[in-house]
Amino acid sequence: MTVLEAGVGTETSVLSARGITVRFGGLNALSDVDLDVAPRSIAGLVGPNGAGKTTMLAVLSGLLRPTQGRVWLRGEDVTDASAQARARGGIARTFQQPELFLGLTVREHLVLADRVHFAPRRLWSDMLDPRSLLPASSAENERVDGLLELLNLTRVAKAPVAALPLGVCRLVEVGRALAGQPHVILLDEPLSGLDMKSSENLLSVFQRVVAQTDRDVSLLMVEHDVAAVLALSNWIFVLDFGERIAADCPDVIRRDPAVRSAYLGDEESVEGEPEVPVAGEGGEVEP
Amino acid sequence: MLEFVIAGLVLGGIYAIASAGLVITYTASGILNFAFGAMAFFIARFYYYLHTEHSWGILPAAIVAIGLAGPIMGIFLYAVLFRYLRFNSPLIKVVATVGLLVAIPALATIIFGSGAILQAPGLAPEPVHVYQFLGVPITLDDIIVYICVVATVVLGAGVLRFTEVGLKVRAMVDSPAMTDLSGTNPDLVSGGVWAVSVFFAGLTGVLAAPIIGLDPNKFTVLIAAAFAAVIAAKMRSLPIAVGVGLLMGIATSLAERYLPSNSQWSGEIIDAIPFIVIAVVLLYSLLRRGRMGDVERVGGALDRAITPQGESRLAGSTSGALESGSLGLISKYAGPFLLIVAAGALPLIVQGYWVGLTAAAFAYAVIFLSWTLVTGEGGMLWLCQITFAGVGAITTAELATTHGWPVLAAVAVGGVIAMLMGLVVGLLSIRLGDLYVALVTLTFGLLVENLVFTLPSFVNSGLGLTVNPPSFATSSRVLAYLFLGIFVVIALFILNFRRSTSGLAMNAVRWSDPGARTTGVSVVQMKVTVAALAALVAGIGGGLLAIQQSTIAPGTFDTFLGVVWLAVLVTIGIRSTAAAIIAGLSFVMLPALAQAYLPTWTGNIPPLLFGLGAISAAKYPDGALAEQSRRFRNQLLRLADRQKPPLVIDTLSGPALADDAVGTATGTAQSAVAVGKAP
Repeated sequence: MTVLEAGVGTETSVLSARGITVRFGGLNALSDVDLDVAPRSIAGLVGPNGAGKTTMLAVLSGLLRPTQGRVWLRGEDVTDASAQARARGGIARTFQQPELFLGLTVREHLVLADRVHFAPRRLWSDMLDPRSLLPASSAENERVDGLLELLNLTRVAKAPVAALPLGVCRLVEVGRALAGQPHVILLDEPLSGLDMKSSENLLSVFQRVVAQTDRDVSLLMVEHDVAAVLALSNWIFVLDFGERIAADCPDVIRRDPAVRSAYLGDEESVEGEPEVPVAGEGGEVEP
Repeated sequence: MLEFVIAGLVLGGIYAIASAGLVITYTASGILNFAFGAMAFFIARFYYYLHTEHSWGILPAAIVAIGLAGPIMGIFLYAVLFRYLRFNSPLIKVVATVGLLVAIPALATIIFGSGAILQAPGLAPEPVHVYQFLGVPITLDDIIVYICVVATVVLGAGVLRFTEVGLKVRAMVDSPAMTDLSGTNPDLVSGGVWAVSVFFAGLTGVLAAPIIGLDPNKFTVLIAAAFAAVIAAKMRSLPIAVGVGLLMGIATSLAERYLPSNSQWSGEIIDAIPFIVIAVVLLYSLLRRGRMGDVERVGGALDRAITPQGESRLAGSTSGALESGSLGLISKYAGPFLLIVAAGALPLIVQGYWVGLTAAAFAYAVIFLSWTLVTGEGGMLWLCQITFAGVGAITTAELATTHGWPVLAAVAVGGVIAMLMGLVVGLLSIRLGDLYVALVTLTFGLLVENLVFTLPSFVNSGLGLTVNPPSFATSSRVLAYLFLGIFVVIALFILNFRRSTSGLAMNAVRWSDPGARTTGVSVVQMKVTVAALAALVAGIGGGLLAIQQSTIAPGTFDTFLGVVWLAVLVTIGIRSTAAAIIAGLSFVMLPALAQAYLPTWTGNIPPLLFGLGAISAAKYPDGALAEQSRRFRNQLLRLADRQKPPLVIDTLSGPALADDAVGTATGTAQSAVAVGKAP
């Protein structure tokens, strides 16, 4: 058992899943998948199309209930908790196609997530309290402004998100996730649709987030850009046809024959040298 | 028993044809046609006009009414309305068809004349021939219904599933743009779908006329019953829709046979059968913890990329919660403030009869605020606000008149009871999706209207219930100011809600269900809370209306009338509190002015205009008046901001993201909007 896997269901892992199985009718989307995310780490979840990566994120975030299996957040069993309860407990996520609130501005996205964490009662008490018309507290402003600055969103803070380009929308989703003070953020293909420069910017943001000294934040990233994931992550999980076929550090994953087989087919994996891209080579691997 | 089964197959057959028409239209266009009943009424009334009033033969009258007028109406409506609705949110689609539901009967009354027709012929020659089948008498009209059911199922399912036309229809639902690129004209296919849809509506209408007569309200009730079969079929399964429709007819017939005929409850249980079916289906779905799947996106990525998205919103402007800047705030609130002041002056300006109308208008304005809350803020279309108003009115009358409560306390309790009912309906329907909320609230309204509002103690031999005003309200003028005061308090609550954390959360919920949930906001809690508060407001408004009218006459709170109320508000502005007061004044004053100063026939023009106004939601989701007001305000702000540099989003993403904004050519605002769900 690896160091990361030692902490299943305890406080050693910030997020753990065991035996996750999801069936849609006769189709097994996930079969007995285990996964752990260590504190202050970046984990990658990769695999060909249809491997079950997004389904796994849906299970972890509470948007989908598994047919079997359990999920723990910082040692607490959250399998039966709703998505909003998990969000308040410290699981945030982004979506492959940004799920933003098109009636709100960038800043309002962050303010809402901030208040859900720091002042949840205001969601209800503000209805009858005219004091909500007063300016926000300085602590809230400081936190929100800090995040806007971290993500280079200050200049578009008052813009409605409906008017923003995709790259900025992805940043807003990350900002909304961070504003909720999460312990772990699930990122679903955050680089999808971005050019190389934008991807680099977003990846540097991720590194800065995890490197923050005042908070423990971990990331679990589903991504088709395997080179980027291998370069960024401390640990990689590989899914194929709903099963976990590998879980190890990036260097080992690069040489793993099962991974090469899943991405490139059996023939190439036997004949060729390791083809899973290494950091710096760039390019997206399309299975 | 066989006799009752066979007899039940007639009503069941009509349900089946209607539900098949609704399912086929929804499958082929993504639009659940709430105006199906109104279309059925229009065609049936046209058939009656030709056949009975102008002595045309059955065949030519049927060919012209069902075979020509129906399809032409379908093609016309597609050309002027439905083609623009395809990529809109379910909410706007429902609002537009609700507009038709109001406009079409008004148009029919203008063209064919008013007056309920209790006896109308079907497609069989009169006197209708009666056959014997296994000892059971069957009329030729019954046989025609059976033939039409079989033809509908065979043709509907067969064409959709097995023919090239069906393939094109299904392809077009997936992506009109790709279908276009494949060499098929999407407008031709869609126009054909709507021609067939209104053909089915016309057929339903003519077949149903001998049973229910020619009354638009009865047609709406009939189609609401067919909605039960549509809900059971999850909008898409033609065999289930037809099967459930037939079973409901048989169940109705058997209930008539076996329930005691001398009990008042027997009749009410029979009327409630479709609603019992809906309740069972909803409870079953809730127990399975699933959505019913009404939020499927129509069209593919290409369609969304090439479709202007601005119009796909309903009340989609920013929340304003964190807005600042004195000019912005002043320009935003000065108009409503001046309007309230003007409305406040009205009871002083007008005299006598018109003062009472002003008080009524303010009571209606309070009821309309319930939609400002639930639809304008909550993004949900509730079609039973009039029912909550009725509950408030009846409770007020019962408590104040029968039990001697202070009348304003009775109004408050009426509001609370309406709120509790809203809570239950919300819990039952909201989890299932936006379209189901509209369906369930419409059927709930009809259920209460037919089962509760018709109780003898409320009808009171046709006299209704009486309510006395509070002792301090010595004149209509005092009542008007009392109602205006209550309106202002509720309006301020809504404005505070909009700018509060609760408003932010509600805004989040309406735009993205998964986004809100993974941010820690409970979608169901938020929507149910807002819906219950809106029911409270409607209940209070109903109580005020009862006070103003002194008597709650039977029929005051018919569900169909509530749909007209909604059309009035949507026409003017669903999100603006000021629009609620204009809507109240319009609804009361325009017909009164028409009655006082114009010929009688013009009385149907206001409903027609309101219906057409609701249809315009497809173009102006916030309401035509609200749209003009916003344009004026934006011009004002633009003039004030002329000195400042323009805001160009693509260059605002910061130095590190400048290339990002430019580089993601496909990631423009359209993409951002397209990926988010419209409310």
